[in-house]
Amino acid sequence: MMILVTGGSGSGKSAFAEDCVVSFGGEERVYIATMYPFDEESKKRVQRHRKMRQGKGFKTIECYTRLERVQVPEDSTVLLECMSNLVANEMFQEDGAHEDTVASVLRGVRQLKEQTGNLVIVTNEIFSEAATYQGDTERYQEYLGKINQELAEMAEQVVEVVYGIPIYHKECAPEGQEGSGDDEKPVEQL
Amino acid sequence: MKMIIGGAFQGKSALAKKEYPKIDWVNGEEADWAAVRKAQGILNFHAFIRREMKEGKDVRELAEWLIDCNPEVILVSDEVGYGVVPMDAFDRAYREAVGRICTKLAAYSCEVTRVVCGIGTVIKHA
Repeated sequence: MMILVTGGSGSGKSAFAEDCVVSFGGEERVYIATMYPFDEESKKRVQRHRKMRQGKGFKTIECYTRLERVQVPEDSTVLLECMSNLVANEMFQEDGAHEDTVASVLRGVRQLKEQTGNLVIVTNEIFSEAATYQGDTERYQEYLGKINQELAEMAEQVVEVVYGIPIYHKECAPEGQEGSGDDEKPVEQL
Repeated sequence: MKMIIGGAFQGKSALAKKEYPKIDWVNGEEADWAAVRKAQGILNFHAFIRREMKEGKDVRELAEWLIDCNPEVILVSDEVGYGVVPMDAFDRAYREAVGRICTKLAAYSCEVTRVVCGIGTVIKHA
């Protein structure tokens, strides 16, 4: 099962994604952290997320670039957070994939998916605002937008979190119940 | 508590006034805390958060305070977290504060309506 969790800034995506992982049950939980702590603000952010994860039994793997190198245990549940950071790292860090970012990230996700049964990926909506961008920032939106679309295609479930409220954009029938021809379920409220 | 949220210029305030024609509204662009804590309805709640932050006030507990002293209020607020991370540190902090505060308020609210193109969709009804 792969779940893609998206939403705006400060919308409660992480808390929701962690709940998804915990609800999968399972013994081993792996957190793939992609935020490079380059200044005070990002260090604080990392601290905040660590505090949220405390006591939930996650083993943390830091991965700022080249997701395809990450190895996870076979039966683990994996939470990758956040795609927007990974894409920025791949594009702008020296050892990143640069113009090969989209292909490189998708390769990494496919490999993760092959290694583990349950994968939750947190991404970000950065596409709706009045400001327009050029150059690197516009390309960043383009790359992340493309990746999000591909991930949504791969995922069994796509959830947008709006102020902590999940809105299901894609939800397939659980395994063993496929083939009914009707993959869509009505919006559920938690 | 009920919330009406969505992007800018989507008809949130008009929808709110239509849904609740009998209540008195204050506007977050000018109302102070004394008015907000007693208001029946608050328009542009995001603007109130921004003004408080501009004045250097700590807004981390704002959601708890509002729940405490005005649990029946109708809140209308922009969603401001759907763009590229702003270059300016204040803008980043403001954007995140609106998200965190509204997430707490949405958890408390019995109803949350999201407005797109003037059309409200109830995304939470507890």
